[in-house]
This record gives sequence, structure tokens and C-alpha cells, in this order.
Amino acid sequence: MVRIRRKRMHCNNKELHHKYKTKRRTKDLDQIQEDLLPGNRERLLTRPADEDLPGLGQHYCVECAKHHTDEEALARHRHGREHKRRLRDLKVPAYTQKEAEAAVGLTTDSGRPSTQAAVGAHSLLALKLKNDAAAAAAAASAAAQRAPAMDIE
Amino acid sequence: MRLEKCYFCSSTVYPGHGTMFVRNDGKAFRFCRSKCHKNFKMKRNPRKVRWTKAFRKAAGKEMTIDSTFEFEKRRNIPVRYDRNLMGTTIKAMKRVQEIRARRERAFFKQRMAGNKEREKALDVREIQKGIHLVATPAVATKEIQKAAESSKQMDLD
Repeated sequence: MVRIRRKRMHCNNKELHHKYKTKRRTKDLDQIQEDLLPGNRERLLTRPADEDLPGLGQHYCVECAKHHTDEEALARHRHGREHKRRLRDLKVPAYTQKEAEAAVGLTTDSGRPSTQAAVGAHSLLALKLKNDAAAAAAAASAAAQRAPAMDIE
Repeated sequence: MRLEKCYFCSSTVYPGHGTMFVRNDGKAFRFCRSKCHKNFKMKRNPRKVRWTKAFRKAAGKEMTIDSTFEFEKRRNIPVRYDRNLMGTTIKAMKRVQEIRARRERAFFKQRMAGNKEREKALDVREIQKGIHLVATPAVATKEIQKAAESSKQMDLD
């Protein structure tokens, strides 16, 4: 018995690495969702003929961001599993950095420091404002005490 | 110094760590390590990958609503340096961390409550279903006899 070397495994799988190079990255779901907006969709479907694209760029599937050689191929693609899966994926809003931050409870606080409501009752900035106000009040009272003394002199 | 969050797993990315990928439309994505970057390149959805924070939060595996999350914020208002404020901030950070750890422990305990009984019930059911596979014929006949006797006793009673 001799162990037969497997040629296409993990690190040996050249095709897989080739596919995932950022150089040949295809459109992401959030970009496609933008393309699907009414104005953008028409613009993408009515483009002038481009020699560099398959089928002169005239048979484009917006959902899958893919050019096809002819109308028949496009129709076949529309019946396929991959296209249907893509339609399902596009139904939910795309994942964003904001969602990643919300998952660890990180949100943005852009409220003006002068307003108590925007700062929030628990925040340290509110504590600082309170301390500052107390210090200012103390200084004012000290000045008031000193002022009558000056009058006597 | 700004601490970013990883796009994929939501962990903190410290300056000088991780990778940033800038897509050809100018949008930047930060990753804490090559694992996250590779998963992004494979076009995986972080909501569906079980080890990301996004998944764990969505699946109810971690605490989501808590007052301790109110402290860490991306603040776009610069605050003038103040030694006292800095001191209280650092003290408060430690305290908040402690409180959150305690609450997370309580949350985990509550999530796991009743697991032991549930597992035991499942095990008992499995044994009842498959006892014929392990019991020797002698034991099986004994069991049958015992059952028959008990039913006879019941009849007499």
C-alpha cells in the first residue's frame, strides 16, 4: 500500500488562492445593493458596447455583477442556483462596519458638550462639566468674599 | 490614538496591528489578523460565522443590553487634557470592567441554567430506546420476567 499524494489540498490549491486574491475581487453585496437602486440599475443595463467585456457588455446581471456572452446564457444564469442564492442574500441589508462596532456595544457620541442630554447622565464628560461648574461657583463666591474686604480698605 | 474595531470579528485593532484593505471605491476595511482578512476575502458573511461577535450577539449568546456599554463611545468632540479627569477616567474604566465581567458571568450562568437536567433527560431517553442493543439475552429475559412478575402482582392486588 502506498499513500497517494493528494494534489489539491488546502495550501496546494492554487486555483482557490487565485480566486481569493484581492486583485480580482468581485463586487461586494453592499455595492450591489447600491447598484440595484432604480437610477443605477438602468444606467448599468444601458451601457455602450465595450470590446473588452464578454458579449460587448450587453448582457449583464446586476444582482450577480456578471457579464454574459449572449441573452441565452443570461437567461440560463437567471434560472440557476447561484443567481437564486444571490437574490436571497440581497434581501437583507449588507453587513457594515457599524454593525461590527454595535456588536461590541460601541456607538458614536457626537453630541455637543454644552448640552447635558447629548452627553448622557452617566458619561465622564458630564462629570467633568459638573466639576467645572462647581469650581466656577466656588471661585465666584471667593471673589464675592474678597470684594467687600477691598471696599473696607 | 484611535482604537479601531475589526470589520469581521469586532475585536479591537491597536495601532500597528492588523491589516487595512481599501476597496477600489475607497472604502476602508480593518482587520485584526490574517484570519479575519482571509475570511473577508472569501466573502463570508460575519453574521453567519459562529466565532464572530456579530453572530454571538445575534444568537443571544452574549449580553447585548447593559448600562456598562454606555461608557465606551466613539467621541467626536475633543476634550481638553485635564489631569484630574484623566485620573478619574482610568479609575472608572477599571471599575466598569469589573462590573461588566461580573454581569457577563451572571448572564452565562443564566444561559446555561437547566442544561444538566435537559442533558440527563436526553441520555435517559437514549438508554431506554437502545437498551436492547447492549443488554445480554440473560439480562433481557430477566427484565422481561421481572416485568411479568410485577404485572402479576398488580393483578393480584
